[in-house]
Amino acid sequence: MEKGGLGLEITELRLGLPGTEKMMKKRGFTEMIMTSSGSNSDQCESGVVSSGGDVEKVNESPVAKSQVVGWPPVCSYRWKNSCKEVSTTKVGLGYVKVSMDGVPYLRKMDLGSSQGYDDLAFALDKLFSFHGIGVALKDGDNCEYVTIYEDKDGDWMLAGDVPWGMFIESCKRLRIMKRSDATGFGLQPRGADE
Amino acid sequence: MNYFPDEVIEHVFDFVTSHKDRNSISLVCKSWFKIERYSRQNVFIGNCYAINPERLLRRFPCFKSLTLKGKPHFADFNLVPHGWGGFVQPWIEALARSRVGLEELRLKRMVVTDESLELLSRSFVNFKSLVLVSCEGFSTDGLASIASNCRHLQDLDLQENEIDDHRGQWLSCFPETYTSLVTLNFACLEGETNLVALERLVARSPNLRSLKLNRAVPLDALARLMACAPQIVDLGVGSYEDEQDSESCLKLQAAIRKCTSLRSLSGFLEAAPHCLSAFHPVCHNLTSLNLSYAAEIHGSHLIKLIEHCKKLQRLWILDSIGDKGLEVVASTCKELQELRVFPTDLQGGGNTAVTEDGLVAISAGCPKLHSILYFCQQMTNAALITVAKNCPNFIRFRLCILEPHKPDHVTSQPLDEGFGAIVQACKNLKRLSVSGLLTDQVFLYIGMYATELEMLSIAFAGDTDKGMLYVLNGCKKMRKLEIRDSPFGDAALLADVNKYETMRSLWMSSCEVTLGGCKRLARKAPWLNVEIINENDNNRMEENGYEGRQKVDKLYLYRTVVGTRVDAPPFVWIH
Repeated sequence: MEKGGLGLEITELRLGLPGTEKMMKKRGFTEMIMTSSGSNSDQCESGVVSSGGDVEKVNESPVAKSQVVGWPPVCSYRWKNSCKEVSTTKVGLGYVKVSMDGVPYLRKMDLGSSQGYDDLAFALDKLFSFHGIGVALKDGDNCEYVTIYEDKDGDWMLAGDVPWGMFIESCKRLRIMKRSDATGFGLQPRGADE
Repeated sequence: MNYFPDEVIEHVFDFVTSHKDRNSISLVCKSWFKIERYSRQNVFIGNCYAINPERLLRRFPCFKSLTLKGKPHFADFNLVPHGWGGFVQPWIEALARSRVGLEELRLKRMVVTDESLELLSRSFVNFKSLVLVSCEGFSTDGLASIASNCRHLQDLDLQENEIDDHRGQWLSCFPETYTSLVTLNFACLEGETNLVALERLVARSPNLRSLKLNRAVPLDALARLMACAPQIVDLGVGSYEDEQDSESCLKLQAAIRKCTSLRSLSGFLEAAPHCLSAFHPVCHNLTSLNLSYAAEIHGSHLIKLIEHCKKLQRLWILDSIGDKGLEVVASTCKELQELRVFPTDLQGGGNTAVTEDGLVAISAGCPKLHSILYFCQQMTNAALITVAKNCPNFIRFRLCILEPHKPDHVTSQPLDEGFGAIVQACKNLKRLSVSGLLTDQVFLYIGMYATELEMLSIAFAGDTDKGMLYVLNGCKKMRKLEIRDSPFGDAALLADVNKYETMRSLWMSSCEVTLGGCKRLARKAPWLNVEIINENDNNRMEENGYEGRQKVDKLYLYRTVVGTRVDAPPFVWIH
């Protein structure tokens, strides 16, 4: 596990992986639909990723397509539900869904309540009443299971490689996977983003 | 003409159920008109302002079922401001005063209040069926009235409404003696549900066929509900996450296995993807699957589910299924008739996974396909031409390319030829939505070939008034035309005012139509209500200034036999 020893810039809360110029193409919804129709005030602001205080909105130019009222033509009921989905899989602090191979139900846990990977290991153990998950995090090669997470870009990464702060920033969901299944899974290799 | 007594003719008429046919029958002669009007059971009113309750009751004194539609279609996309109209209250008041034995009320895009629901529940002893689609203005208190007072209720079907959830006990308002429930759909309710009351209700409803739950009903409750209702045909799963124990999941699997009549599945609003496997045993019988709210399910889990669904006729899905997923659908679902692919990424992040390839694959693999709604990032003329060749049986073809004005991404040409191929091949096309970069040419094709077209939706398309004229002159069966952000103006609007009497309505927003043009139209066609919706410019759009050259932001016109409506808000001007 790499903790500390890194410059502050690496753990700076940003959109996109460090070392890349990738910017989130998401836009704000503020100019969108629910204007003077007055139908609801809890607008869909979820086009914006909030990272612990600083709200970054990337407004790219091409004919502000998402700033056109009522476009795309998706009914408002569906908009609202789609926004709900985005907010429940909030990137960053908050609840993420945790699944474990072979277990037919999902758990949700609050990453913000863990202080670091050790804490996370302990919490996962408790969640699934299964010892060994903690071992998987710490002692990589000795365990039947590995813990992986899906990041903001939809890539699956091995948990434990990046600094804790960056991890909780980008983790969208967790999965405890059998090591034997992990090899064919297409995990991003360590150090891919360095 | 009449060789039979009236009773016999009436009996024959009983076999004629479509509204169109009954309307035709009533035009044959006075005698048939009279017999038909006294025997019509189901009345359909496509625009609640085309007629009023008094005229309805005068013509059809004996009906049992009423369908009413209020706001125009583009209201779904928030283009119609709050308060525009579509109030059901005067209808219910009038019906309550009359002697109509109303049994069924179906409303779409109307404003319904708790007061309306209360009055409805108290006025019709045999009331059986309430279906509300995309309505607003009421709360769970109104539902409580329905539950308490409608002793013979069979259907309570709430689809995509905006309901103020007071988190009350409306479900427990159904009396203990009430056992006639057939359909219960409350998926759109946001708040908590009284699970105990729900379970008891389901347990005492042996005729229950359709049950659609909301987000607040968790997995373990679902298992118990399904165990009480193994006869269920149509199921909407609520929140599919389980936070308790795996025992619930096993119980669910056991309950699902017993539901051998299950044909339709929907919901999965917050779904644990790998729990879907619990439903695999019933997939082979499913004819309808709606996963379009299940943003959490994608990739392999989705495909695994679909691979079991060989009898699927209707599929609503998100574009996260991808082209590869659509290929699986194409090779598995040979009975598919209707497909809807909705966009996941509504924020325009460019992560959409379906392209023209998915559409082509579906058209090639599903010979019975007749209705499609497809949201995608890109399209080509070549793909549309292929689709047209593969599927000449389309009745409804709605393509929405997310970026306005986007051309063929390979040739950079407009998509005129592609849509032209669709309308030329699909001789039965009744509904069409076009998108992407389009010139007047596509409308020439539509006017020429789309002879059966009844509804056309246009956005960001066309070059000149000629485009709109091609459509108005060519499509003889046009009923609803809705246009936004297209350069059509007064010349097109005014060319043939009599055309609008043959149509239900015309909507034009952000076009080139002027106030003067609208006034001229209203003068020439007094049988029309020409509404100008003006929410932003309440004061700026002066009636007497600028010689009416101001552009009208939103125009909605419709034929009516009852003149100007009296319930219009101040921002709607009716000429």
